[in-house]
Amino acid sequence: MKFRIRIDESLCIGAGRCVVQAPELFDQREEDGIVILLQETPDGALYDRAIRAAAQCPARVIEIESGDKPAG
Amino acid sequence: MSEAPLFPFKRTRRFDPPDEYGRARAERPVFPVTLWNGQRAWLLTRHDHFRTVLMDPRFSGEFARPDFPAVTQARVAIDKGERAFVGMDNPRHGHYRRMLTKEFTAKRMMALRPKVEAIAAGLLDVMEKKGPPVDLIEALAVELPALVMCELFGSPYEDHTFIMSCAAGRHGLKQSPEEAHRTARALVDYCRRLIEVKEKAPADDMLSRVIEEHVLPGTLSREDLAEICSMILRAGHDTTTNMIGLGTMLLLQHPDQLAELKRDDGLIDNAVEELLRFLAPVQFAPRRVALEDVEIAGSLIRKGEGVFAISPSANRDEAVFAKPDAVDLHRDASQHLTFGYGIHHCLGQGLARIELQVVFAMLFQRFPNLRLAVPAQEIPFKNDMQIYGIYRLPVVW
Repeated sequence: MKFRIRIDESLCIGAGRCVVQAPELFDQREEDGIVILLQETPDGALYDRAIRAAAQCPARVIEIESGDKPAG
Repeated sequence: MSEAPLFPFKRTRRFDPPDEYGRARAERPVFPVTLWNGQRAWLLTRHDHFRTVLMDPRFSGEFARPDFPAVTQARVAIDKGERAFVGMDNPRHGHYRRMLTKEFTAKRMMALRPKVEAIAAGLLDVMEKKGPPVDLIEALAVELPALVMCELFGSPYEDHTFIMSCAAGRHGLKQSPEEAHRTARALVDYCRRLIEVKEKAPADDMLSRVIEEHVLPGTLSREDLAEICSMILRAGHDTTTNMIGLGTMLLLQHPDQLAELKRDDGLIDNAVEELLRFLAPVQFAPRRVALEDVEIAGSLIRKGEGVFAISPSANRDEAVFAKPDAVDLHRDASQHLTFGYGIHHCLGQGLARIELQVVFAMLFQRFPNLRLAVPAQEIPFKNDMQIYGIYRLPVVW
């Protein structure tokens, strides 16, 4: 079961909290620290970490879509 | 409480924010207060309003606005002279901030950890050699951030007492506007000279890189960099120092929690989040001013009225944190707002977190019997400062 992550790069302030929480899913651009989404539709096993990353983002950049059923 | 009492309020217990905040959260969460000059302002005491207002473009963070709220007249003097992006709205704020974000990425900060550990080990060695009693503020809380900033940013170590005095010198609740302005400008003047030095003799540090990448190609003026440099230096010294002092004292006052931390190495990251939640040393910021009338939770904030987002209150919001007035190193405290929220979220939070994780882990490993050298009630707290902390913390082991 997969789920979908969306990011709004224009809001990103480069805090990097997402990378600390879920380095499999997020990275930061070398030149300005803006978020890079590594997996748009990751495996459900990473769902909780994705939720944590989204919750800790100080600029509400990350949106997690779980669909009708929670993934995992 | 009267209709709009004078702000700021006083604490009745040293580790808890003023009681007025708890009452406001329950009864009137967007709470009206009167500032030193008679101006009306509003406190955001709840977690949800803190976050929504700091994401709302109807509120401005331009320090230079004539109606921008401040807790003292001295602070107004500082705000009027502030030229760094901490006091700007987007898009200007983002234009400057983006020149620095690459220096503070999660990976850069993680890579810095061994250096921070080496610095902490060196300071603990000195403490051990000197022997008890030691003032932990002087020996560790001031020194660690100073040495880390020196390593990362490139500020000469011998200048850290001056930088610290400038950082602390702007946070007094009782100082004169002239003194505040003089201290603020002294640090910018110092930064101008430091930029000249680094331009002639670049080193492997943040300031040299910013000069090379932005000043030499002409995308950032030396004057703008001096302002930014001043902002980073004072932010990098004072706040972390206060967290180390307060955090150590709080852990010593909660021996059961401290025992858990000593028992479980894996607890440190979570413990630091809880210390940040509970202690929230930045008491009267972030601030905003309403650009139009905005109603929140039944309170009408008029255009031109100021807003203080109060992290010491939002971090004790019962709707987000169960038993918020208890210290619990095992709780999920990660939603705390100690570093702010939105576009001005603390640029150095990743560095601060690593410094705190390293220092609290290593301090209690090295001195497992660390304790206060004097009765707890004799420890002097910074009740006269905008950023809360401890002046002296004599310890033995």
